[in-house]
Amino acid sequence: MSAPLLQLTQATVRFGGLTAVDALDLTLQEGELVGLIGPNGAGKTTAFNLITGLYSPASGSVAFSGRPLAGLAPHRIVAAGIARTFQNIRLFGSLSVLDHVRAAGNLHRTASPLHALLRLRTFRESEAAVTARADELLALFNLSCFRNTPARSLPYGEQRRLEIVRALATRPRLLLLDEPAAGLNPQEKIELVALIQRVHREFNLTILLVEHSMRVVMGVCQRIAVLDHGKKIAEGSPEAIRQNPAVIEAYLGPDHATGLFHH
Amino acid sequence: MPKPLLSLLLALCGAWLVSAFSAHLDPYYLDVLIGVGINIVLAVSLNLIAGHTGQFSLGHAGFMAIGAYAATAVSLFLGPLLIGDFPTPGGLAESTLFFAALVAGGAAAAVAGLFVGIPSLRLRGDYLALVTLGFGEIIRVLLQNFELLGGALGLNGIPPYTTPFWVIAAAALTVFVVGCLVNSTYGLGFRAVRDDEIAAAAAGLNPSRYKVVAFTVGTFFAGIAGALFGHFKLTITPAGFDFTRSIEIVVIVILGGLGNTLGVILAAVLLTLLPEFLRPVAEYRLVLYAALLIAIMLLRPQGLFNFSVRRPAAPRV
Amino acid sequence: MTEFLQQLVNGLSLGAIYALLALGYTMVYGVLRFINFAHSDVFMVGAFAGLYLAPIVPSGSILGGILVVLGAMMVCALLGALIERFAYRPLRSAPTLNVLITAIGVSLLLQSAGQLSFGAAPRAFPAVFPARALSIGGLDFSSNQVVVLLVALILAVALRFVVFRTKMGSALRAVSQNPRAARLMGINNDVVIRFAFLLGSGLAGAGGVLYATNYPSIDPFMGVLPGLKAFIAAILGGIGSIPGAALGGLLLGLVETFVSGSEYSTYKDAIAFALLILFLIFRPAGILGKTRVEKV
Ligand SMILES: Nc1ncnc2c1ncn2[C@@H]1O[C@H](COP(=O)(O)OP(=O)(O)OP(=O)(O)O)[C@@H](O)[C@H]1O
Ligand SMILES: [Mg+2]
Repeated sequence: MSAPLLQLTQATVRFGGLTAVDALDLTLQEGELVGLIGPNGAGKTTAFNLITGLYSPASGSVAFSGRPLAGLAPHRIVAAGIARTFQNIRLFGSLSVLDHVRAAGNLHRTASPLHALLRLRTFRESEAAVTARADELLALFNLSCFRNTPARSLPYGEQRRLEIVRALATRPRLLLLDEPAAGLNPQEKIELVALIQRVHREFNLTILLVEHSMRVVMGVCQRIAVLDHGKKIAEGSPEAIRQNPAVIEAYLGPDHATGLFHH
Repeated sequence: MPKPLLSLLLALCGAWLVSAFSAHLDPYYLDVLIGVGINIVLAVSLNLIAGHTGQFSLGHAGFMAIGAYAATAVSLFLGPLLIGDFPTPGGLAESTLFFAALVAGGAAAAVAGLFVGIPSLRLRGDYLALVTLGFGEIIRVLLQNFELLGGALGLNGIPPYTTPFWVIAAAALTVFVVGCLVNSTYGLGFRAVRDDEIAAAAAGLNPSRYKVVAFTVGTFFAGIAGALFGHFKLTITPAGFDFTRSIEIVVIVILGGLGNTLGVILAAVLLTLLPEFLRPVAEYRLVLYAALLIAIMLLRPQGLFNFSVRRPAAPRV
Repeated sequence: MTEFLQQLVNGLSLGAIYALLALGYTMVYGVLRFINFAHSDVFMVGAFAGLYLAPIVPSGSILGGILVVLGAMMVCALLGALIERFAYRPLRSAPTLNVLITAIGVSLLLQSAGQLSFGAAPRAFPAVFPARALSIGGLDFSSNQVVVLLVALILAVALRFVVFRTKMGSALRAVSQNPRAARLMGINNDVVIRFAFLLGSGLAGAGGVLYATNYPSIDPFMGVLPGLKAFIAAILGGIGSIPGAALGGLLLGLVETFVSGSEYSTYKDAIAFALLILFLIFRPAGILGKTRVEKV
């Protein structure tokens, strides 16, 4: 069997005295859609920042497709095939929606900056290809009508979607989604779930999803890992996680035995 | 033919025309024209660094100084050494020599820009402003102590090679290069890095690379501006490229609007002409500059010439 | 050895002035997170305030000197508060860059306005303190150097008291640590920011007079270099840290004095910047500051 797509081995991140991610083991096989949940401050975002190279591990390692990621700059990790979205939306305020996707298409443009100066056919063809692909993605995500809108004047739900589109435009193999449904209304959440499933299928992606909305996580994930205080306290199918006493305790404290996920 | 290239060609023709008829034009206006052109080169190149890429630099005059000195070294010392004498005015030899001097000035400044750009990668905002200011001052102090290049007294007797042709051509080339870079898929990265570095990296862009490219290209043109300036004023001193000169360029860019090339060109024209009109009240010039800067920031931070909030659509390809 | 001690005294008295200025930079940076470029010109105004105050107090006396310093401090504190109110407060929610550019504008405005009203030529500064040449154990120094060190020491102790022992001082520290939380605790940030400007500018005023007594000619651009160096000192010490600013100021004063005394004296002004660049790159938090990781 080939190496797993993503493998964290005893990965640890510390901030001063605080261990935000504590000896985390996590493995994703190609094509999986895995949920990562846990109470606030459990270390989910920190784990993402570790995988994407924003933080480096105090100990342990991260490997992608069998290749260690240690020491790679964030943009190199993207080039290797890992893209992400941000929990607190980080768009390029002054760039239009289309330009976000074009900017992320840079990894796959064929013309060099020198071509941009000469403005010859190679350049024009490369630009046209990048724009065409960007438009395709925008259409898929229902963002075409906002094509020329600067990101900072985009409605909130669309901003969340644009984060995903920008990540997809880098043509990743692994997509990390950090609370993509946060702040959306129930209707938008349903649409987003459908979209995530569709993207997972059509783009042949592996997805790691952080989400507080249990409805979303239980609905789409094949497997779920639970973090608490940086440690993995459980892992398994949605069914198993739903009934795991350790998980219930982590979320509600020791006195609540039942009824967490049944609202 | 692609539009940008066509515009560049037209501009070059215009430059040649002005040159051809320069004998019939009032030299005063030609001088003003040269001043405007040099400021356009300076402001548009600083705009790439500070406006598009968001790397606020207060050291542009330092790079201008390097360009001026390097170019002068070529035209004043190296040229006569190779040719045996100063070339005959207006001839091919002179043009070639000046071209070489301009390139040398730009290249020297670009190398310095690379040196400043790389260590500055970890800094942002006002810290970067301070470091670039520091580099500008260090360059000045080094030049003052460099006896070979005239020390604090500077260099005199520089041959008067700068003509309206060279200046217009340089301005057109600067606008062309910066415009073409920025208006491409590649160039979206400059603004992405400015808006959010971490997000830019998450989109697969290398923020450090973009910053260094902006610094290198921007300072290259600052060097060319310095070279033109030296061969126009015919004498250069380290003190002529101090912090105040950097601030002048910054004021132009701010007035035109950070990242707005057309606005910056208009501002360069306006701010070069303004002192000419204000000659009778010259002592109030600095007060006016300062008040202008504050007023713009308080009342119109997007610059004087930014009329639409919407940015122009992506280039048609 | 005497040579060394001599330079030490010179360095300390220059450093004390840098320290006074650096304190203002660091306090404003603490509450507003930007370089107040105009601070160096407030320092210049302090020197000119001293120049105009000197004739109306008993000249060459300790009392007269103290009055001049206090007067300049008051003028500068007022000026600082005005600058904050009219130039910086409207930009409270604007990007840092805009505030920085405004600060540069205010700096230029003070310089050019100073040039118009005081003239561009250097002016001699009167002896406001009793001037005497002292010689102790083979060391020659002027009484002015002693005055500089004493006044700076008194002001530093006073500042320490204000910042750590008064209610306003704790509010100031609270706002520097976390403006949002401070507001939630019922602190009026605007009042605290104005207070930081009053204090910092007052110290700059005192610095201006002290600088002028030691380098007895002043002009509207005199603030530029000492100002930059004081800011560098604040960064060396750890920007936002009050003891750091004092330490950085003394350190830079010493380094500069020793360089001036060596064969590299012409590079004096470049050394401060080289130090700055080295620090920003290798230890951006300064000597006493703490490094922070950006939260994503
Ligand atoms: N840069 C940082 N510096 C210091 N502490 C940090 C930093 N980033 C995160 N932390 C701390 O690490 C812990 C884990 O934070 P993290 O953001 O990973 O949690 P999370 O699981 O994503 O929580 P949430 O559900 O609220 O998003 C928290 O206690 C947080 O305060
Ligand atoms: Mg999180």
